[in-house]
Amino acid sequence: MIDFLKANQPVFDFFLLTLGFAYSQQIVLRCGVFSLASAAFAALGAYCCAILVVNLGLPPLMAIPLGAVLGGAAGYLVSVPLARLRGVYQAIATLALVEVVVAITLYAEPLTGGAVGFNNIPKHVGTVEIALAVAVVIYLLHALSISRIGRGFDALRQDEYVAASLGVSSRGQHTLAFIVSGLIGGLFGGLQSMYAYSVEPHQYGFSFMVTTLAAIILGGRRSLLGPVIGSAVVILLPEISRPLAEYRMVVVGVVMVLVVLYTPQGLGDTFLSWLSHRRASKQAPPPAKPLAADARTTKSKGDTYGRA
Amino acid sequence: MVALELQDVRRHFGGVKAVDGVSFQVPAGKVTGLIGPNGSGKSTLVNLIAGVLGLTSGEVRLHGEAISTETADAVARRGVARTFQNIRLLPEASVLDNVMIGFYRLERSSLLASLLGLPSSRRETRELRERGRALLARFDMSAYEHVPAGGLAYGFQRRVEMMRAVASNPAVLLLDEPVAGMNDVEASALGGIFARLAEDGMAVLVIEHNTRFVAELCEEVHVLDSGRLIANDTPQEVMRDPAVVAAYLGT
Repeated sequence: MIDFLKANQPVFDFFLLTLGFAYSQQIVLRCGVFSLASAAFAALGAYCCAILVVNLGLPPLMAIPLGAVLGGAAGYLVSVPLARLRGVYQAIATLALVEVVVAITLYAEPLTGGAVGFNNIPKHVGTVEIALAVAVVIYLLHALSISRIGRGFDALRQDEYVAASLGVSSRGQHTLAFIVSGLIGGLFGGLQSMYAYSVEPHQYGFSFMVTTLAAIILGGRRSLLGPVIGSAVVILLPEISRPLAEYRMVVVGVVMVLVVLYTPQGLGDTFLSWLSHRRASKQAPPPAKPLAADARTTKSKGDTYGRA
Repeated sequence: MVALELQDVRRHFGGVKAVDGVSFQVPAGKVTGLIGPNGSGKSTLVNLIAGVLGLTSGEVRLHGEAISTETADAVARRGVARTFQNIRLLPEASVLDNVMIGFYRLERSSLLASLLGLPSSRRETRELRERGRALLARFDMSAYEHVPAGGLAYGFQRRVEMMRAVASNPAVLLLDEPVAGMNDVEASALGGIFARLAEDGMAVLVIEHNTRFVAELCEEVHVLDSGRLIANDTPQEVMRDPAVVAAYLGT
């Protein structure tokens, strides 16, 4: 077992990094924003971290949080023009942002190394550090999802009209989601640059977006469990099916199509909603009484509206 | 006490004058009715008050303060709750979660407390869950706590929407055709709930088609036709008004 894990440690590390990026992608989807900007945030975090550590000699412990902050700041800036857009228009706009960031990293050669990439970064980060970061992110996202903010996000995703009628500000919540997405993306971008010895522009391009999005669609858009399952499938499946040589991408494709067809909510979310359905059916709703009965008998005033 | 006041409210869509110079008041502690035939501008008026649509001219005031330039969420945070003519629930969320989002306006946890999962935020969530359950019990919906709202029968969906609006403890409650598609027994039961909410000090505005329901419930009824108010009186007087009869039955 230990030998197996040791042999596959790079795969596991890559899974953890992908998981982080998937959370950055999920948080915006969760509040109804179709943003693909996570790739751009990750690139900013990665290059910021690499430049700070290699060129300016900052300790990684300072550089990585700064990379996250840069991602968060970029998230805020992006949210301002995107507040007026919805759905597929947001996707296109953020896609453009990703391409802009890739272009900048290509042309700012003195700083980023251009197309060759930023190489010779000392390795400061291993499995433990990445796993720690994932644990912290999961805790924070869990806290967020059971708070009023999480409830606001869920309402916005399902019906923006209703959310507004209850006082949820779509502008404020979307901005917040972009900032959180930027922070997480920047954080894991920074970790990746400190882990992988080098960073190159196309690493955070189209295929990055497809991978994180696939992880969310396979795993689920709502629960924290979703990205874990989704990232595991996206990363491990090509490894497991390695003996099939050229056909392994066929296997990956077929699995994806099957998952989308049969569990369109994603594996994680479907599993969790199956659990809660089971709980609901255990509750066995009695035949509904007409409302008239309790309207006349319940006399307690005020308590449920919070009036004394 | 006047909770909500409309003054010469107009909303034109191009050449169509959907709402054309409507003024009336909704007092706190009473159920006020607004009736009118199809296409008379009732729902437009609700959307104007709730801030979903902007006014062409005129003013809406809540407790004397103009709210007509504010966005829908800001109006909601000031204490104007509404239900929708076509029920709009959060279909994926359970009944309890649907009701809990109604408390959003009242929640006080700071951003930081929510993000870090501090005890204050967790305590608030726990308290709200208990209050949500109490509300469910009051509307006889406890058995459906964990059921996704999208899968409920029509009458239950109406109840959930009503609970959600009531949960926010609003100063003004706008009900857009709350008893559409309900039988008389259910309708009068809901009417009883509205009357009690008004007794507790809420200003309730019922927009309805069902004139009998409005007549039983309201002390004052406004009648809208082609975007204008054509009558304003007690339900009994209104139903005798020749202009109202003409609007409903045609001439």
